[in-house]
Amino acid sequence: MSSILASVALSLFVSAASAQWMKDPASSLPRTSDGKADLTAPAPKTADGKFDLSGTWLADPDPKGSRQNVENMSFSQYFINVAADLKPDEVPFQPWAKTLFMQRLQSQGKESPTARCKPTGVPAINSVPLPFKIVQTPKLMLLLYEENTTFRQVFLDGRQPVKDAEPRWLGYSTGRWEADTLVVDTAGFNDQFWLDGMGHPHSDHLYVTERFRRRDTGHLEIQVTINDPKAYTGPISYTQKLTLVPDEDLLEYFCSENERDVQSFQ
Amino acid sequence: MIASIRQILLMGRDGARRRVFALLLITLFPFATKPASAHHAFTAVFDAKQPIKLTGTVTKLEWQNPHTWFYIDVKDESGNVRNWGMEMGSPNLLIRAGWSRNSLKIGDVVTVEGFRSRDGSSNGNAQVVTLTNSGQRLFAASSQAQPIQSR
Repeated sequence: MSSILASVALSLFVSAASAQWMKDPASSLPRTSDGKADLTAPAPKTADGKFDLSGTWLADPDPKGSRQNVENMSFSQYFINVAADLKPDEVPFQPWAKTLFMQRLQSQGKESPTARCKPTGVPAINSVPLPFKIVQTPKLMLLLYEENTTFRQVFLDGRQPVKDAEPRWLGYSTGRWEADTLVVDTAGFNDQFWLDGMGHPHSDHLYVTERFRRRDTGHLEIQVTINDPKAYTGPISYTQKLTLVPDEDLLEYFCSENERDVQSFQ
Repeated sequence: MIASIRQILLMGRDGARRRVFALLLITLFPFATKPASAHHAFTAVFDAKQPIKLTGTVTKLEWQNPHTWFYIDVKDESGNVRNWGMEMGSPNLLIRAGWSRNSLKIGDVVTVEGFRSRDGSSNGNAQVVTLTNSGQRLFAASSQAQPIQSR
């Protein structure tokens, strides 16, 4: 009886997922003999010979983490802590940044901008537990994020960084190819967001370099370097690994739709 | 507390200060790395020291971002009914974990295991949801919790 129930339940979920239009019928991914996407096939290339980063990607969960709760999800360690690869006493804080970081920890996360539905900034937006889609064209790469249904534009047309930029949550991005790696530089940030869930601070001098490399069809690496001499005495680096989400499309996510937690903060 | 932390950070030699800082992080904030969702930290809203287990009838479902909420009427030993609000993850996460907006229906009797809100209200965070009639555990490490992603 329980197996029948499980089968019925599973079929209901499958039809529900289809109803969400999550499947991508136009997918041109290489397939294995059983029809599944071949995630280890060689990385595709564009007509102009560059590696094609296009696809829907999701940050890999912490390999030391476990799937939990009704969401059956575990998160990237870098979404929680950009300094996850460092010991706490190795983080190159400037004194004010260390004090602010401790204050944020003490507040148990209640001061987090995202808890108030403010945008997630760079580089954390690549590590949230919601996928994003890369659309690569010769002179422009679009990053379409499910997180807050937002986007970044990475200009590949040789333009120079914006001078005296109006500060932004997601900054201004330009990219250039170095062999098989797309190097994206982003600056012109405001200081209103946190670098991660723990609350590592930054200033308006934040400069983020993301080196995108598609290892094969199913695997992307973003080597992130955070430079902010006003907040840190040296760079913080890590590599976010991501896996292709085959045959699936983005959903909507508007945080302001039904935010109910902030009223409980004391 | 903040003043004392600042004093600790400013005192002593570099090595000792660093060790104290590392120790502070580990001892004061053991849950600092536990997110409830992409939206907020678990500790911002819920109290890991207040586990709850409630059985009640679903009265309302809010299948919306940033969190799905469902509400259950729970009767205590005296027969008094209190309505509890239970928070889960984003519908987007739940859909990918196998849920749909029809997984819970008004009138379903469920048992919820989770943690109570820090503010003492009748709200909590749902970790496991079990349909009382069938005993089916809804997607908390159950056989139905097959993620759609092949990771």
